[in-house]
This record gives sequence, structure tokens and C-alpha cells, in this order.
Amino acid sequence: MEAGEKPQLIINGKRTDGRAFDELREIKIEANVLKNAEGSAYIEWGNNKILAAVYGPKEALPKHVADPERAIVKCRYAMAPFSSLEEHGRSGPNRRATEISKVTREVFENVILLDKFPGCSIDIFIEVLQSDGGTRAAGVTAAAVALAAAGIPMSDLPYAVSAGKIGDNIVLDLNKIEDNYSDADVPVAISPRTGEVLLLQMDGNLTKEELSKALALVKEAGKTITKLQKDALKRDYEKITEKYKKR
Amino acid sequence: MNRIVVPGDLLADAPISIENTLIYDNKTYSAILGMYDDEKKTLIPLEGTWNPRRGETVIGIIDEARPSSYSVDLNSPFKGMLIARFVSSRLQIGSVVEAKVKELDETKTVMLMYAKKLYGGKIIDIPPAKVPRVIGRGNTMIQQITEGTNSSIIVGMNGRIWIKGGDVALATEAILRIVEEAHTEGLTERIAEMLKQNKKVV
Repeated sequence: MEAGEKPQLIINGKRTDGRAFDELREIKIEANVLKNAEGSAYIEWGNNKILAAVYGPKEALPKHVADPERAIVKCRYAMAPFSSLEEHGRSGPNRRATEISKVTREVFENVILLDKFPGCSIDIFIEVLQSDGGTRAAGVTAAAVALAAAGIPMSDLPYAVSAGKIGDNIVLDLNKIEDNYSDADVPVAISPRTGEVLLLQMDGNLTKEELSKALALVKEAGKTITKLQKDALKRDYEKITEKYKKR
Repeated sequence: MNRIVVPGDLLADAPISIENTLIYDNKTYSAILGMYDDEKKTLIPLEGTWNPRRGETVIGIIDEARPSSYSVDLNSPFKGMLIARFVSSRLQIGSVVEAKVKELDETKTVMLMYAKKLYGGKIIDIPPAKVPRVIGRGNTMIQQITEGTNSSIIVGMNGRIWIKGGDVALATEAILRIVEEAHTEGLTERIAEMLKQNKKVV
């Protein structure tokens, strides 16, 4: 392969990691992994490894950022210096991290019942330990679990996943190499109860039909992701319930 | 039958107006991680912060002393405020007080009344969502612990518990066990058993 040449992303109808077009990577979610946070979650999404932590509601400081009528949401998405093989592994807030923090914050501003906590702030931290494409989607999915585990009232448990286009095919959940060389990448966050779209970004071009096809894939995958999120939240409680049921 | 629900889960096909729920399209959905009872139509939060209500007992720690008022840390996002002339003894930073919620203003500053300074003792913080279980229906659970350990215990609705005298270690252990198993059935019996087995012979 010469420099600038695209690698072949689809061979015999399968993708680079052997997945079908509408297949998700393997996802594992664990809730309440950090003791000091009010709520936390750890997600393994393919090769992505991401920690999400939620602190608050707590007094919003400095005072001038507080809103006397509702809570404010702060979000920090960051990639660890060792998270990636390439340029993303720069520590600290860069342009990309600032953007992802903003869009993630807006996802949760639309689902948290903010008017219950006037003058407070809810802080969300998303730390990418290992990245392999689609970290913002995985980050939103993990942060939703962390928020629910913190007992913060929300109108729904949102999930996110990306869709994209490779050649003429619409595919689900792009990994890093597909993301870099695909024709389009569309991360989407959705509120599963109402089907509302909370985040939609598009890198590349899709026609109207292709976009609706991508959204359909996302919504289908959402059923699996939502189930994993709920299982993660219930697991600890059910373990204890089971323990005493048998006696 | 109790079931664990997460935000966005459907609770009922009819609109029921209970706390921490949403009504959308004439259906009721949960807004929190909680236990929902389909028959009694109750939703009990499993996690979360304390939502102050008038008349509730709280345990606070003074974190700021001003000439005419005290600021009180209540283990919650909301600050407590205590007017100095309603307190009989002079308080210092770090003093522990038992008080009642007098009123809440629109920014949710918690005005306190009937403050009483607590001397000595031990304080444990638990998640506020578990407090109702520690108290038990009609105070049964807390009475049981008090009798089993001979400690005096004051439970603040803000998730702070003050224990003094008696078998403090056993009382703490019992409370922490309630916190962990709060969502299970038959907990009162298990705690009774635990207290009976570990009771010190005086």
C-alpha cells in the first residue's frame, strides 16, 4: 500500500475485523467501578476502554456560573496520553476534546431533569484509556450508565453508536481504521424511549436515503446497547437479591 | 412484586403522579434508578441525593460561623443555614448539630430550627436514598438496633447518622449492612438475627 492509498476495508462481504455490515463490536459495561464518584461506569467497546464518572449534584462553583433555576452540566472528555498509537495521544484539552465535551454535554442537558437541582452542577468525566474509533459514542453510552448509577433523575437512558459508509455500503459501529478511510462517519446519540436524536454529527457525505438507512441501523443496534446498559445498572442489586432469595 | 427500574422504563400504562416519574403520552415512566412496586404503585430510589422537606430531622456539621448565623454542611448539594439567636449554645466550626428543616427558599437553601449540639459520638455517612430503610416502617428497624446495641442513635434524613454509647461497632455494622441490602426482602429478620448473635453480655 502506498502513502495516501486507501486500504481495502471490505473483503468478501466482511469488514476488516470480520464483522457483518450491521454488526456491533463486543460491548461490556460495568457500573459503579469508582468509589469516590457518585456514579461511574466502565465500558469496553471492542478495543475501546473508557471510564466515565459523575460527581454531583453539588454546589456550582464559581458562583457566577450557577443558574438559580436549574442545574448546569459540565463535561470533560479526555484521551489518556497512552490511549492511541497516533496523534490523539496528546494529553490535555485540545480542539477535538473540547468539541466532544461540548456535544456530550448537550446530549445530557437534554435528558437530565435539570430543574430539580437549582444552583447545582453535575460534572461528567469521560476518560478514554484505550481508543479504537467511536470513543465519543462509547463515552456517551458509559456516561449515561454513570448518571443513572448516581441517582440523577433523567427522562431517559440515552445511548450512542456510530454508523458510516464504506464504498456503497452503510455500516454500523466503525473502528479506527474504518473511521479513517471511510466515506462517511455519523455518530448518533438517541433517547430510546422517544427515538429523539440527541447528537448527530457527520464527517463525509451521505445522501438522504443513506442517512435514513444509517439511522435505522443505529436504532436497531440501540436495542442491544440499551439492554447492556440496563443489565449493568441492575447487576449488583440483583446479585444481592438472589443471595437472599434462595434461603 | 418489586422490580428494579432504570430511567426511561415504563412503569404503568396510565398516568400516575408520583415522585421521580415522567408522564408522557398518558403513560408513566421512571426518571431514576429505583424499585417499583406494581401493586402499591410506589417508586423508591436506590441512589441519589437528599431532597429536603420541611420538618425533617437532619444531622449537620458547622462549616462556617458568622456573628449572627451559621452555615451548616448537610452532606447534600444544598447548604444549611442556622440563625445564631435560635441556638442556645455557642457553636464552633466542626460542631455537630441535630436540627429540623424549617423552610426552603427558592434557591434551596435549607433554613434550620430547633438546633441541638451533639457531644461526642460517632458519625457515619450513608447514601440518603437508604435512610428510609434504616429507620424502617414505623421506626421498627432503628428501634431494633437501638435495643440490640444499647446505643443512642439519631438518624438524619440527609444520610448522616450519629451513634453514641453502647456497642457502636455493632450498630455501625448493622447500619452498613442495611445500606448494602436495602432493596431485599426480609431484611428486618436478618438484622434481628445478626444483633442477637453478636450481642455482648454485660
